[in-house]
Amino acid sequence: MIDVIETKAAIEEENDRIAKNVRAFLLEHGTVLINVMSSPGAGKTTTLLRTAGILKDEFRIGVIEADVDSDVDAQAMAEAGLAAVQLHTGGSCHMDSTMTLEALRGLGEPCPDVVFLENIGNLVCPAEFDVGADLNVMILSVPEGDDKPLKYPLMFQVSDCLLINKTDTAAIFDFSLERCEAYVRDLNPDMKIFPLSAKSGTGFDAWTAFLAEKIRQIRTEKSRSSRETEGGAI
Amino acid sequence: MQIIELHASVTESNDRDADALRAELKKRGVLLLNLMSSPGSGKTTLISRVIRDLQGQVRTAVLEADIASDTDARRIESLGAMSVQVHTDGMCHMDAGMTARGLAAMDLDGVGLAFLENVGNLICPAEFDTGAAKNVMILSVPEGDDKPLKYPLMFQTSDALVITKTDAMPYFTFDLDKAVLRARNLNPEIRIFPLSAKTGEGMDEFERWLLAELAAWRKNG
Repeated sequence: MIDVIETKAAIEEENDRIAKNVRAFLLEHGTVLINVMSSPGAGKTTTLLRTAGILKDEFRIGVIEADVDSDVDAQAMAEAGLAAVQLHTGGSCHMDSTMTLEALRGLGEPCPDVVFLENIGNLVCPAEFDVGADLNVMILSVPEGDDKPLKYPLMFQVSDCLLINKTDTAAIFDFSLERCEAYVRDLNPDMKIFPLSAKSGTGFDAWTAFLAEKIRQIRTEKSRSSRETEGGAI
Repeated sequence: MQIIELHASVTESNDRDADALRAELKKRGVLLLNLMSSPGSGKTTLISRVIRDLQGQVRTAVLEADIASDTDARRIESLGAMSVQVHTDGMCHMDAGMTARGLAAMDLDGVGLAFLENVGNLICPAEFDTGAAKNVMILSVPEGDDKPLKYPLMFQTSDALVITKTDAMPYFTFDLDKAVLRARNLNPEIRIFPLSAKTGEGMDEFERWLLAELAAWRKNG
């Protein structure tokens, strides 16, 4: 007889357990957590800076920057006047719920209305770990190619929105938006897709209008359900 | 209480497998290159270009690793080169055991250059020795010149850095000098080849390096 130790299942169970604590924390503070995932260099920081710039008149915004090393992204956020926390994952390839909870507490009181979690640049591992987010947003950039859904299917399946970034460079890359959308819909028929350019700003009207509405909706649900909790179960 | 150091035992046994594979490939005169990069940096396009350019000079074999799909193996096969697709089934990197199994599915007689196209990921593959003679990292211009700051281990474990899509330079704010400096800060010995596999610019120098490494690999020991 051999003992097989299912460490992966145990790690994921533990992560799911803490993800519930993240959700409870978010409910208590009325905060909406948005998990942003992509390949390295797809434009997460640039996209977040522009998005936050548009939404910051309506919501108090915080950013959690996860990196293996360095704090270049958190510096960029702080320069833009956003509450930012830099996490060093020490070689880890994804964010988990424990790290997320720690970072949310690190943002201080009162917790912002909206917190963007900029995950580690990686299309594989972050897709496997629930961080307790209200919304999972994936960014795919035009230079990476339209075949990525075929190769990293789980990431496209766990995401609620797909931003196709760097559309301003479409002229020099062989990227077919139609083909990409068809691949994505095969994996995730409900995916909301927004082609945009974080550099030029093209496409941000549609994206931020959608996101603002979604945030309002989630915050209304949260405040209703926390009132119900306070007033006892109905 | 007993603590099981799973990570150490995994990498130790992998290191043994990797050394065994390297010795076997050395005996057979096959130079295995482990190609690592972000998703979409242009690994397949680079390999395709090398195969075309070196046709008639050296036999090549390609091991394609992907979580799913076989689009890359098909692209390589269409060039008439030998290719095998490995599905990692959700795994985020290749290890030496998987590499050995993939290579065993090919007839390596007379092969000079074997490419392992790793899973598109700048983190996990850097931690696992695949048994390759050389690690080659690919960074594409659209990803930005700050990547050495964020993924240091990948730059440290690579023997060569290929900076691809240089033809897209006018469209991006990518400072080549800055990227080179940051890479050299982490790894002073790293060989750096800026090139465009699309236009062919800079391919010569990289291909000369490949052939020189192959000759050295076959001569020593």
